[in-house]
Amino acid sequence: MTMPPCTTTSRLRLLTRVGVWGSAVGGLVLPWAIMLAVDHFVRHLPLDQTWQSFRLHLFAPGYNLFLVGILTAVPFIVSALVILLHLGTAPVQAPLIARRRTLGLACASFGMLAVAGWTHVDVLIHPDAQGALAYFFLPIVLLLLLPVGYAVGRLAARVLVPPPTL
Amino acid sequence: MTTTSPSPTILSSREIGLHLGGLVLFLGLLALWYWLSTGARAVPTLIEMLKDDDPSTRIVAAEQLGLVGPAANAAVPALLAQATRDGSQHANTTAAAALKSIDLTAARLVMTHFIPRLQDPDVQQRRTACAVLGSLGPVAKPAVVSLLAVTNDPDELVRRNALTSLASIGIPSAPIAASLIAGLRAPSGLVRHSAVAQFAFTTPVPQEAEEPLTSLLADQDKAIAGLARSALDKPRPDDTSHIQSLSLMIKQSTARDYALHQLAQLGSSASEALPAIVPMLQDEQPLVRYLAAEALGAMGPAAKEALSALREQQQDTDPVVRASVGEALKAIETGMTMPTEPASKGLRQ
Repeated sequence: MTMPPCTTTSRLRLLTRVGVWGSAVGGLVLPWAIMLAVDHFVRHLPLDQTWQSFRLHLFAPGYNLFLVGILTAVPFIVSALVILLHLGTAPVQAPLIARRRTLGLACASFGMLAVAGWTHVDVLIHPDAQGALAYFFLPIVLLLLLPVGYAVGRLAARVLVPPPTL
Repeated sequence: MTTTSPSPTILSSREIGLHLGGLVLFLGLLALWYWLSTGARAVPTLIEMLKDDDPSTRIVAAEQLGLVGPAANAAVPALLAQATRDGSQHANTTAAAALKSIDLTAARLVMTHFIPRLQDPDVQQRRTACAVLGSLGPVAKPAVVSLLAVTNDPDELVRRNALTSLASIGIPSAPIAASLIAGLRAPSGLVRHSAVAQFAFTTPVPQEAEEPLTSLLADQDKAIAGLARSALDKPRPDDTSHIQSLSLMIKQSTARDYALHQLAQLGSSASEALPAIVPMLQDEQPLVRYLAAEALGAMGPAAKEALSALREQQQDTDPVVRASVGEALKAIETGMTMPTEPASKGLRQ
């Protein structure tokens, strides 16, 4: 069943807005959410204690969880800009282009999300003296993953979203 | 809200502009949040946190106040109370360490409070006193004599804490190095471990320490042997490239205290760093000015080129810095090279 063009456009418009803000805010909140979750579910700390500890260490020397959040958020904010400027400027009259761009950006975003999530969980569950270095290398890895993930998504889109046959 | 005329793209250029503005605003709000939560702006909140029932909150608040430096002067009474009266040793040490960066006179008050406790009949009091004096770092230099006395305490943990604290204070280096060398030969593994760890990570390794450190390479405790190896692999006090590295570190605000403290322990060997040290006498942080004066004083006559700069600082606003400048002038003018004496001489003292 083919959707009317206006429905497709409005869905893509909504998807672009959600993608932009989901990426920017999600990138910032992701490490914090993982820290709270690991303390609560893995270390079995009560939620109020987990929250108190998180709040306390947000700007504390040696922890600076705020900085950890910012470092992880940077590539996701770049991703938000790419979504806005690349998907947002896709022509309405050529929905195939928009769909392929959507798949490319979705692949990049979910790839970044998976790598960032796995890194944060791993650092927290297996802490060691060099663990914090991961926080500094993670943004670089995520930024490299953005074009790679996009390319993979676009390749997948060639198979999954074929051009309409006349 | 959508535009009335249909856009040729998924988002109209106006909407893209609005989202871009929104992202910039988002980043601006994050920057504002950081700005309000750090530096001198955070001091009132941090003072409130010092009153919290939870020791971990008080500890974190003290650590953050220490980072703020002299601008956290309003927190001095609360930090003094925490350093001297708090029931948690960690809360005591973090408050004392913070005072060192905020107000040298207040830090010396903490020192005066804890020196008599080194002789307390309660062993826990003596352990805490050692730990707090060590957290004051080089500011607790006048406590060195009292700490040297407790390196023979009957309690093993007091002896260990005393050695750790002496290494943290670091100056004058000769008697401290001598006590650490004696610690290397201690029958107690805990004390030996503490002494060798100080040479591996904290204090410079004098020539006199090389022989006992070499003996420790065959220690039954592999950790001690490993630390001895690390200590022996460290650059020697007269290593020119090491002194050059420390001179470069002085230029970095985050490493300045460490570099000056290390140079202050090297005596006349550190004279190559003189051009980098002298401008530190004008630093806005009293701790940095104090460490610079101590480093120059430790050089003795080798620092004669710094005499005019030191004389200008004789009226320093901080009384602890003034006293240190006076001592440095005396050491240079009279040719007394206090910390350059061999460690063995310090042992005899």
